Amino acid sequence: MITFQAVTKRYPDGTVAVDGLNLEVPEGKTMVLVGPSGCGKTTSLRMINRLVEPTEGAIFLDGTDIRDRNPAQLRRGIGYVIQQTGLFPHRTVEDNIGTVPVLNGWPRKKARDRARELLTLVGLDQELARRYPHQLSGGQQQRVGVARALAADPPVLLMDEPFSAVDPVVRASLQDQLLSLQAELRKTVVLVTHDIEEAIKVGDVVALFRPHGKLAQVAPPEELLAAPADDYVASFVGFDRGIRRLGFIAAEGLALGTGPVLPADATVAQAMASAEPWILVTQTGSGSPRGWVDTADLAVIPDGTPLGQLDTKGFGHAFTVGADSLRAALDAAVLSPAGQAIGVDGDGRVLGVATFDQLRAAIQAGEGWQARQKARP
Amino acid sequence: MMWSWIPSNGSLIWNLTWENAKLGVLPALIGLVISLPLGVIAARWRWFYPPLLTVINILYAIPSLALFIALIPAFGLTDTTVIIALTVFSLCVILPNVVAGLRGVPAAVTQAATAMGYGPFRRLVTVELPLAVPVILAGLRVGVVASISLASVGQLIGVSSLGYLFIDGLQRSFPTEIYVGLVLVIALALACDLILVAVRRALTPWAVRPRRERARPRPQQLEEAAI
Repeated sequence: MITFQAVTKRYPDGTVAVDGLNLEVPEGKTMVLVGPSGCGKTTSLRMINRLVEPTEGAIFLDGTDIRDRNPAQLRRGIGYVIQQTGLFPHRTVEDNIGTVPVLNGWPRKKARDRARELLTLVGLDQELARRYPHQLSGGQQQRVGVARALAADPPVLLMDEPFSAVDPVVRASLQDQLLSLQAELRKTVVLVTHDIEEAIKVGDVVALFRPHGKLAQVAPPEELLAAPADDYVASFVGFDRGIRRLGFIAAEGLALGTGPVLPADATVAQAMASAEPWILVTQTGSGSPRGWVDTADLAVIPDGTPLGQLDTKGFGHAFTVGADSLRAALDAAVLSPAGQAIGVDGDGRVLGVATFDQLRAAIQAGEGWQARQKARP
Repeated sequence: MMWSWIPSNGSLIWNLTWENAKLGVLPALIGLVISLPLGVIAARWRWFYPPLLTVINILYAIPSLALFIALIPAFGLTDTTVIIALTVFSLCVILPNVVAGLRGVPAAVTQAATAMGYGPFRRLVTVELPLAVPVILAGLRVGVVASISLASVGQLIGVSSLGYLFIDGLQRSFPTEIYVGLVLVIALALACDLILVAVRRALTPWAVRPRRERARPRPQQLEEAAI
């Protein structure tokens, strides 16, 4: 656990970067520091590994004042990832990753073996071990940076805008990687970003800073979206926070109807008999969605024709029951020509469809859940 | 051009070439050894560099012959006099490159090194200096070439080098000797330069392209070095 106790950083020219910060980073969780530039989030991060020393106040790591620790020793127990990667250009990927183990006195061979394990852990090919950093893509370099930070298995990981320099597709995959790593490793992570979307995606807790180093709100992301503390927070999290909040409500509670769902070998007559405006045709066998058919178009088609022979309209995407959120379900409904969201199981088999009415009911029930979350002491 | 002069004076030419090589390479290497600590200090404590650079420029402005003469009372008409003078000139070329090389290490790299638990000395030796090698060696190349070329001036105070061939050739109105001296000075400089390029390649397998190694001599230095 990391504790900031009334920490202030004032520079000789009088600029206050961090102003009386009190913050607790819970063990094994990801805390995201987010805010506009110049809000003191990076300064706060760098005070944890003593790259910056506070002017007032104290920072405790597992109950020990970090000023009582030798800086070099302290830092070897804290992984550090930065936007520009800071990889050593003159060392191969494996020797970059093995940096801290070697500093801790490991033999080079053992450090290299460890480096290869880590390459796999961060989703890189071991073939890259002998390359130099400049021979890698930006996303690969960033993964090596994460591997290097994790090499000595530090309990704490500091990440300063780690994914800001890569394109959005690579960024999303790096964020997913962090989430899956974190599910496995349970490090105490402090991540700085200016991107509220990123904060909401990767954070267990989000600390939102105001300009000049004051905290605006510290809350889990779903609470930040549901109950912003003031106008500043509300405007920072954005106007579509209502929709984004649905990303935190599981779609499990959504009622699914099977009335409009028919297999490809069902006939036009069966579709007409259902009295549904739209029919979702599924693949015979796999049960995966094939596409929508508008029953108004069926009048001119012979009754015995199997639905599989008709042209269908695309369904956009389906949501996976048990894995996806209400936001994904709502999105699926919006993109569907029939205005209905298709729910599938983990194998892609259609479980049923949800209309906007059913979605609204689930959202309202979800808000009840939100209220209960807030009421919790 | 009298080609037969060359084989009949083989041992003289060989000895002079060897002397000239010694007078060129030694000062550059000593200059490098002195430049490293000074450069480290100048790169770390920035206020130290501007006055240092002023001193260097003044030293560099002294004509080589004048510096030789100034050193004679202390060291006589010896190799030492020439080596000290040429060391001063090499230093003037190499030191700015040491500083530039160290300052050119990306801030993100030094910050990451610190954050990973390097102490300042270990970081300097294992991260910053290796990364500065291309720029430092570029300075060393200029230093060696300049010293080899300037060493011939030492002949004026009687220290033997390929400069002997120029003076002797002039006194005897014998151009062959002058041409041979000129070709050998250039060949020697080129050979040393190629060796240093090979050293740089061996030391920096990681370098992206040899583009960074481009020397950054101040133009007037190069002109002076060619005298």
